[in-house]
Amino acid sequence: MGENNDATRRSVLKAVGGAAAAAAATGAASGQETTTSGSGGQETTTSGGDLPDDFPVTITQGQMPTTLDPQNHRSTPTDNVVLHAYEGLLGRDQQGKIVQKLATGYERQEPGRVRFQIREGVTFHEGGQLTPEDVAFSINRVVQQDVSIASPQADQLAGVTGAQVVDGQRAVDVMSDGINPIVFSLFATYCDIMQKSWVQERSSSEVAQQMNGTGPFVLEQYQSDVLVRFSRNEDYWRRPPAVTQLTFRAATESSTRVNQLLEGESDVIVNVPPQAIGRVRNANSARVSAAPSTRIIYNAMKYNVEPFSSVEFRRAMNYAVNLQSIIENVLSGFADPTGQPTLEGFFGYNPDTSLYPHDPAQAEQLVEESGHAGASITLHTPVGRYLKDVEIAQAVANQIDQLSNVSCSVRQRDFATLAGELTDGNIETGPDFYLIGWGNATFDASQTIIPLLTCDGALTSYCNEQVDQQMDQAQSQANQDQRDQTLQQVNQTLHDQAPWIYLNRQYSVYGVRNRIQWQARRDERIDAYAMEPADGQ
Amino acid sequence: MAIGRFLLKRSAQGVFVVWGVVTVVFGLRYVTPGNPITFVAPLDASQQLRQQIARELGLTRPFYVQYFDYIAGLVQGDMGYSYIRGVEASGLIFARLPATVELAVAASIVAVALSIPLGVVSATRRHEPADYAATGFSLVGISTPNFWLGIMLVLVLAVQFGLFPTSRRGIGFLPAVAMLFTEFRISGLVNWLAHITLPAITLGTYFTALITRLTRSGMLDELGKPYVRASRAKGLPETLVRYKHALRNTLIPVITVLGLQLGTLIGGAVITEAVFAWPGLGTLLIGAINARDWPLIQGSLIVIGVGFVLINILVDSLYAYINPQVVH
Repeated sequence: MGENNDATRRSVLKAVGGAAAAAAATGAASGQETTTSGSGGQETTTSGGDLPDDFPVTITQGQMPTTLDPQNHRSTPTDNVVLHAYEGLLGRDQQGKIVQKLATGYERQEPGRVRFQIREGVTFHEGGQLTPEDVAFSINRVVQQDVSIASPQADQLAGVTGAQVVDGQRAVDVMSDGINPIVFSLFATYCDIMQKSWVQERSSSEVAQQMNGTGPFVLEQYQSDVLVRFSRNEDYWRRPPAVTQLTFRAATESSTRVNQLLEGESDVIVNVPPQAIGRVRNANSARVSAAPSTRIIYNAMKYNVEPFSSVEFRRAMNYAVNLQSIIENVLSGFADPTGQPTLEGFFGYNPDTSLYPHDPAQAEQLVEESGHAGASITLHTPVGRYLKDVEIAQAVANQIDQLSNVSCSVRQRDFATLAGELTDGNIETGPDFYLIGWGNATFDASQTIIPLLTCDGALTSYCNEQVDQQMDQAQSQANQDQRDQTLQQVNQTLHDQAPWIYLNRQYSVYGVRNRIQWQARRDERIDAYAMEPADGQ
Repeated sequence: MAIGRFLLKRSAQGVFVVWGVVTVVFGLRYVTPGNPITFVAPLDASQQLRQQIARELGLTRPFYVQYFDYIAGLVQGDMGYSYIRGVEASGLIFARLPATVELAVAASIVAVALSIPLGVVSATRRHEPADYAATGFSLVGISTPNFWLGIMLVLVLAVQFGLFPTSRRGIGFLPAVAMLFTEFRISGLVNWLAHITLPAITLGTYFTALITRLTRSGMLDELGKPYVRASRAKGLPETLVRYKHALRNTLIPVITVLGLQLGTLIGGAVITEAVFAWPGLGTLLIGAINARDWPLIQGSLIVIGVGFVLINILVDSLYAYINPQVVH
């Protein structure tokens, strides 16, 4: 870790970092470059080149992983740990673009069937080559409840019904109930591949405490809730990582994480709170690295109860909120304003849709037009679930309350209770007006709009036949341009209909020691494979 | 023999208390809002998946079946499986217990080492500057929230002066001692001491203040009693009167409070553990509550409850030994 940097090690890292940078700049590294094409993307892998002899990295998150079983959880901190040992068929690069990982090619065979060509020469950490049987087993373990476990990730591979090995080929066919236009997006984000025999020979408790993947790091030590330590996988199918030893720890308190960073006890920390940004920036040894995340924060207004049943009233609420002020004053600038449910950079985002400006006069007029002047509303908000959630809710409620014809208050809620009300499949049990966040790592508009804004959505607060029809249409369009147009129309409709108060896109804000060269990703993943010794460190 | 019967009776009562704790804790899950499925399954999971997961976790069985199964398991040392982690709850809890016990004992040692001398000085130098300083310290100690004190200690002693690590446990006490005797290296103990000092001071400060006040008032009480006057009249040296006779009697209630507070420290170290990222039972419990991981919540609370009962029995035994009248 940082505090152990001695002169000798620094000089080695400096030399290695310099060599790597020079090689990258000239493209003349001693290794070779291979390129493999697929039907929907391509991946470039570079092998060879000198690796640092000693480049340990410690990452501190808010929570430790709940399990080491990559298919039996739904938490981002767990994902961030397991992704270093396990890999999927496809993956995403720094910008969110789909790249190949354990699949070397992928194509649609027919509606409801896609085929993945499985990479050769990949070995699991405990030995054994990656086979199509392992891939089919892993997919079935997620989507079929009678295979090994009832995986909570089943709905992440929405529409996928199963997988089977293709006779005579090193390939796996994945079946869906319908055309499933986002199937490759799903596989680029979800479904880590495990070794069939390894899983079957172990109890679920053992699978939760041991690891055997194909990834760039091998599990070295696991102390539940204390640390997870990996070492570099020297036999990795790509160039082995620069990081020699990777340690994950956790500290729930953000100030504790910041202290650890400033003292050199940790190299990367998650969720630097806005009030601590200055401390990190002023430190000579560390910096802030932030990236827009895939999570949108919004205030849902239930479409079937007064006063939110009025589109004028819902629009008025959007005009009442000074979003820019919230972003600057509450979130210290680490957020982007939104005006539609789909985030910029996502498939289906409508670039022509405007943001709602802050216009209290217009808001008051629309409230009058809605016929709900004098309405009194309560905004329910979870506490501590999202960055500054209560503070955002208080600012929103305060701004609405300043309208002459609406009063608004905040009610703080326990997240589990609020989430339970929203996910029970009954729109009537949830509050009428609530703040919640939604992460969508597939980079596709449908994975936000379908669950949240269609009549049968799992957490819906809105129902509109036109939107439902258009989403049905989008889900059966194989032509990506046509589908993009359809989704853009839906986003425009949802802007105009204002089922939410559109708030901010949350940022992932990390504190990073200067000895490390690394940039934050948009999908909240911390990929140590991308870490290199910083130039001059 | 009478003491034996007394302890047997206390132990039997303890078993009933533990059973009561288990029952209340088990019942809590049915009256507490929030569903564990919310955390195991994603927010947008289908009802079918939710039901499947609920079945797998055994949550669809009737209440009484779950209760009797749980009690039967508990008798055999099985606290069930963590919903979220999929491993035995008992393993997680007992892995965390040493860290919390270490912290609680260290905090108690800090408290005893500081509070008794302070209390004695305060009582014997009543209305002198030393008394004002000690009572002032007690007031500040009782009034200071320990999360604030912890953060301040870290900022000054760890971040500013770099004297201590900011957080984490480092090596455990027993491995550190083992290292000393098997490898003849003291670095383990130094590491342990470096990591535990700030959390122990943070957790022990309130306790120190409390015992200081108790010692002071107890000592003042004793010093005013006839036997002290008689001792002085007999010509016993003042040191002997104060530190042998008066202090010994003062310490009896202090020891009782110390014993009971140890249980409170084990259950109440949550904030200190969070500030110092200390991997103890407190943070495990908070994490389990946030995730509605009921087997883990139940197991942690039962272990804390059993700890309280055992300490109570121990304190009762000491009392019975010191004052046999209690037995009757």
